[in-house]
Amino acid sequence: MHGGVATGARRKIGSIRDNRLARAYLPIVSRSFVEPSVTPPAAPSPDAAAEEQLCRGWYEAHGVAIYNYFRFHVPLQDVAEDLTAETFLKLVRAADQFDSSRGSARAWVLTIARNVLGDWHRRARLRQYVSLGAMHDLVCEAPSPEERLLREEEVGRLLDAVATLGAADRELIGLRYGSELDTAEMAQALGISEGSVRTRLWRALGRLRGVLAR
Amino acid sequence: MAGAWPAPRGPGPVSGEEELPRELKNLNQSLRGIRFEPRSSLGPELLGRVRRGERSEGAVSSRRIRPALRGAAAALVAAVALLGTPHQAADVRVDRCCYDLDGGGEADDGVLIVAGRDEQVRRLSIYEDKDGSTDYSLGDLVRFERGAEPMIDVPLGLDLETHQFCCRDYDGGGFDDDGLLVVGRPPDRVVMAAIYETRQTESTRPLPRFPLR
Repeated sequence: MHGGVATGARRKIGSIRDNRLARAYLPIVSRSFVEPSVTPPAAPSPDAAAEEQLCRGWYEAHGVAIYNYFRFHVPLQDVAEDLTAETFLKLVRAADQFDSSRGSARAWVLTIARNVLGDWHRRARLRQYVSLGAMHDLVCEAPSPEERLLREEEVGRLLDAVATLGAADRELIGLRYGSELDTAEMAQALGISEGSVRTRLWRALGRLRGVLAR
Repeated sequence: MAGAWPAPRGPGPVSGEEELPRELKNLNQSLRGIRFEPRSSLGPELLGRVRRGERSEGAVSSRRIRPALRGAAAALVAAVALLGTPHQAADVRVDRCCYDLDGGGEADDGVLIVAGRDEQVRRLSIYEDKDGSTDYSLGDLVRFERGAEPMIDVPLGLDLETHQFCCRDYDGGGFDDDGLLVVGRPPDRVVMAAIYETRQTESTRPLPRFPLR
């Protein structure tokens, strides 16, 4: 994948600079191609018992957070379960890639979860969060069924409103309130600065407030 | 699998929350109060799948697909394959790393392209190679993603940079005749990415323009 014919073996006959529209509207910053380094050899995969133990540890530590992250993005409990399981099945076979010196485990797991969610969005036509019926998995200490119903409606209204926001806003809210990442972890998961996280999250909340006020 | 599964985490204090504007505090509290709890059998089920050596194959498990639907899907795939043009080939996956595509200053970004060989791009992702593996892996941060059509995910504005790389084989066609164009806002935003072909036409005349794919 990284090998192949050396750059420039074929004659370059043009570039996007020739496109006047592009030149007029887009500032061009050309960069030279950097040849990738050699891919490191894959680590040997652990046996099934070790994988199971590994998965148990990761799930106990992060399972609820990951599930809640997905519940902020998908309206169906069983889809959130599938996505959670998918995340951990992927994770358990990539656990040797985790490097604690690069950041927290929670943020790393969330990065995998985000990629799983992205795959799901590509496959699924269901993009809009619309609360459907009872939320059996909602944690609620309401003293009566009526009050629980009211609480479910309130949460459904909030999450329906979140679903109307742009993808970036939904992502911020899902990471913060679904998986409960702190600012530093969100910065790591999103690859942006902590200041940017705060600013963008507040703006997203402002937009959500606007939606709810309509 | 013995032992109790952990109770869901309650909402805890988060750094920076004290700076939250007053008008957003109630909304912040409401959102923090939302907690879901996965059913208790999800963990044991997951471990059972790991024990059986199941591999992840898709975001939605196949147990939800009815056998009749599977048959219909297989027939549809076969029909599409039969109707396809003779030169139509399977999609190729091209993964190139590492460049500075987001303007962050480090050559730690890669491009993942799924395309018909030497033809239409089906999927294009720009990722940050977080784990230094020099190709796309699970823990990498996806900065930008699109389907078959070139798109810009924010309105054009100031402070955008265009990064151009030419010429490599980005579509699996076998020739280093493709360019990669990425528009972003440093240090971490990518708003558009596309490839274009520079190959001469059969009449050896250069293409009058380079349509983005």
